[in-house]
Amino acid sequence: MKKIILMSVAVSAAMATSAFAQGLTIGVSWSNFQEERWKTDEAAMVAAIEAAGNTYISADAQNSAAKQLTDVEALIAQGADALVILSVDKDAVGPAVDAADAEGIPVVGYDRLIEDERAFYLTFDNKGVGRIIAHAVMTAQPKGNYAIIKGDKGDPNALFLLEGMMEMIGGMVDKGEITIVGETFTDGWKPDNAQKNMEQILTANNNNVDAVLAENDGMAGGVIAALAAQGMNIPVGGQDGDHAALNRVARGTQTVSVWKDARQLGKAAAEIAAALAGGAMLSDIEGSVKWSGGANGVEMNAIFLDPTPITKDNINVVIDAGHIAKDKVCEGAMDGVVGC
Amino acid sequence: MPHPCHTCPGISFFHRFRSWVALGAATAMAAIAPTGAAVAQQGVLPAYQPVDMPEHVYDGGWEHFVGGGMAVFDCNQDGLPDIFAAGGERPAALLVNRSQVRGDIRFVGETPEALKLTGLIGAYPLDVDSDGFSDLAILRVGTNLILRGGPACSFAPYDGFADDYKNGWTTAFSATWEGAKTLPTLAFGNYVDRQNPEGPFGTCDTSFLYRPKGAAYDQPLPLGPGFCPLSMLFSDWSRTGRADLRLSNDRHYYLNDGQEQMWLMGEEPRLYQPEDGWTAFKLWGMGIASRDMTGDGMPDVYLTSMGDQRLQIRDTDKPGPAFRDAPYDMGTTAHRPYTGDDGRPSTGWHVEFGDAQNDGLDDIFVTKGNVQQMPGSAMNDPNNLLVQGPSGRFAEMGELAGIASMARGRGGAFVDFNLDGLLDIAVVNRRDMLEMFQNVTADAGNAVQIRLAQPGVNRDAIGAWIELRAGDTVQVRELTVGGGHAGGKLGLEHFGIGDVPDARFRVIWPDQTVSDWAEIRAGRIVLATRTGDDLILSDY
Repeated sequence: MKKIILMSVAVSAAMATSAFAQGLTIGVSWSNFQEERWKTDEAAMVAAIEAAGNTYISADAQNSAAKQLTDVEALIAQGADALVILSVDKDAVGPAVDAADAEGIPVVGYDRLIEDERAFYLTFDNKGVGRIIAHAVMTAQPKGNYAIIKGDKGDPNALFLLEGMMEMIGGMVDKGEITIVGETFTDGWKPDNAQKNMEQILTANNNNVDAVLAENDGMAGGVIAALAAQGMNIPVGGQDGDHAALNRVARGTQTVSVWKDARQLGKAAAEIAAALAGGAMLSDIEGSVKWSGGANGVEMNAIFLDPTPITKDNINVVIDAGHIAKDKVCEGAMDGVVGC
Repeated sequence: MPHPCHTCPGISFFHRFRSWVALGAATAMAAIAPTGAAVAQQGVLPAYQPVDMPEHVYDGGWEHFVGGGMAVFDCNQDGLPDIFAAGGERPAALLVNRSQVRGDIRFVGETPEALKLTGLIGAYPLDVDSDGFSDLAILRVGTNLILRGGPACSFAPYDGFADDYKNGWTTAFSATWEGAKTLPTLAFGNYVDRQNPEGPFGTCDTSFLYRPKGAAYDQPLPLGPGFCPLSMLFSDWSRTGRADLRLSNDRHYYLNDGQEQMWLMGEEPRLYQPEDGWTAFKLWGMGIASRDMTGDGMPDVYLTSMGDQRLQIRDTDKPGPAFRDAPYDMGTTAHRPYTGDDGRPSTGWHVEFGDAQNDGLDDIFVTKGNVQQMPGSAMNDPNNLLVQGPSGRFAEMGELAGIASMARGRGGAFVDFNLDGLLDIAVVNRRDMLEMFQNVTADAGNAVQIRLAQPGVNRDAIGAWIELRAGDTVQVRELTVGGGHAGGKLGLEHFGIGDVPDARFRVIWPDQTVSDWAEIRAGRIVLATRTGDDLILSDY
């Protein structure tokens, strides 16, 4: 009975948009559209969905896991052939997957894990971020005294990033080639707190610090301010592709900003959802891997996009992507920056 | 069912969807800003005015990111509820109530030496030794205490209880009288194990249960595994005469391996399991309130958290402790700030049910505030007053009512401080001044207030139920010690009854004997004393 009612809703929705009568409807459930960053993802997703002749419908859960469940039910009722879900709460989204599954509608877990074998998982390689930061800094400064500026003590991501960093430099630390002379958490991930922490590390080590791994760009900015006050310019890494950080890369005060290109993620989600809606199995998705690294060890089909390290050798990438204007990123650039 | 919830459990997918389409839009708007239509639906508008209070701030380092509870009770036997508020690394404070009855609220700071304690997370009032004076269970970073209350707000250590766990970090408490024991069973909930070098993540400490042995307490029984509780509550959820212990736990620290918990309080306590009907779920649990919101006589629970606050309705179709989330369109999630333009999820702490405008429908009060400066959560995070309308849906009226403080709210109280029949609001804030809001609602309905007393052990009749009939509605109320965030109240039970001129009530005493019905006129405040199994009413 339920199925029949829903089908009639779907049919009428399809008739109402007869231009896409042969097309598929991709329903996207966003966690909270007040967060600016998802607008980039959405633009890329909509472009890819419409380019393929499909229809985009969406809902905004406003950060409520409960609202997300009603949103998903509504998207299903509106005739979604596949769902892309950016979950509010990984542990409360299960009923949404159940509802989709009951109607035979495939689900792509977007950016955040929905640990359910019926869902596809699409995200960036987040642990890789710490690794890439450390790799870029180690390339510039293979040994010596390192400082690590971690994020908030209350945020588990601070530990995941550290794990990635230690995977890269751990061997050199064991050999004594790299010495960690300071490692601090940063209250609220705030740049001014990072600056204070860096000042203390410099004081404690008589400025004998050769490189800094910061867990994001904002804190890297605080670190660089502390270094500049001592007349120092040493390799510093961060992440996020912050506009200010990218400009620092061009100016030569920051070595690397690891950037996740949200457009890649949005585009990939559109393509995967369309393929699944068209009848592909989760394991048929090109480039997918088997992965079971979630908390419950559930084996899933997943794609992990590589984050992009932005250094002086590839500033052109963020300019070409439209992430930042050339005049802005290249202002005060040193010589030899690719793209400036 | 006095105020049936049309959208509660047992409804099909399609019905739920249809109600979402028909009413979801209006409810969503009501939850964000009280539009004219929403206001009309919710009846009388609650109104509050801020009151100058003696200076008191809750503050301290990491250990005091949580806590900040207040105990509300009458320590000088003048009938007015006084406030004992935790200060964290600052001294705790006793604020004595000098309000005029039915006049303006006024408090003075008069903290005796015995209460000038530091390291406090919170405190709960209860009469441990059944001497008629309220005592205090004190939750600390370090060893916990029980202070014996005496006349004129005097306090001294209680000899029957000793805690030598110096590394403890106690963030939750509840108490109940089990069977014919002369002392209450005490549960102290411990948060992160501060001594574990692997911490703080994934290193939740064990909690402790103190059962009396004769006239003193035995060695505590460990309640493990611990999942970092921030609130716990003994409640007879099954209405079988046995209070079980619910814990609301903080997944921020237990990470993946924990969940909410409830201990079946048998001879050997054990955790409820899926085969008992228990459903595992995870919260950033901060506070618990329990009350029957659907009119089936069985308690439902409101659990504060980050993002969605969770109202869970008892699922009486299933055996055992089965609860399910209230549907979104009931309007109880209060998941992000309704004012202040901060779209990040909000952080809930203390919660109480109560009727703000005495229309006979219980409302929900929640304190809110960022932990410290968590970037993923709202910084401007006002307290909530979710007002229930006749349809059973709730609308946010915090801003309209005048309680939308942006301070980091922690402990709270929804109590009639000036005995005018209207529930006032007090909030302890982290790194900011304690706030008091006097309820000045015009056109409020009628209320009655009842304090239970029984002779002998458990003088305040903790574990009793009051069943109150007004017009064609029935309200049931369990007397408990625990829940909220790091603090609670002991004293009058307030019932809004709307326009009806009188009500009647009976008491199911903790030993399950049932009193006769007693009449009570609207506006009256009574002491209901047990004689045999029956009641004698006197003016409070």
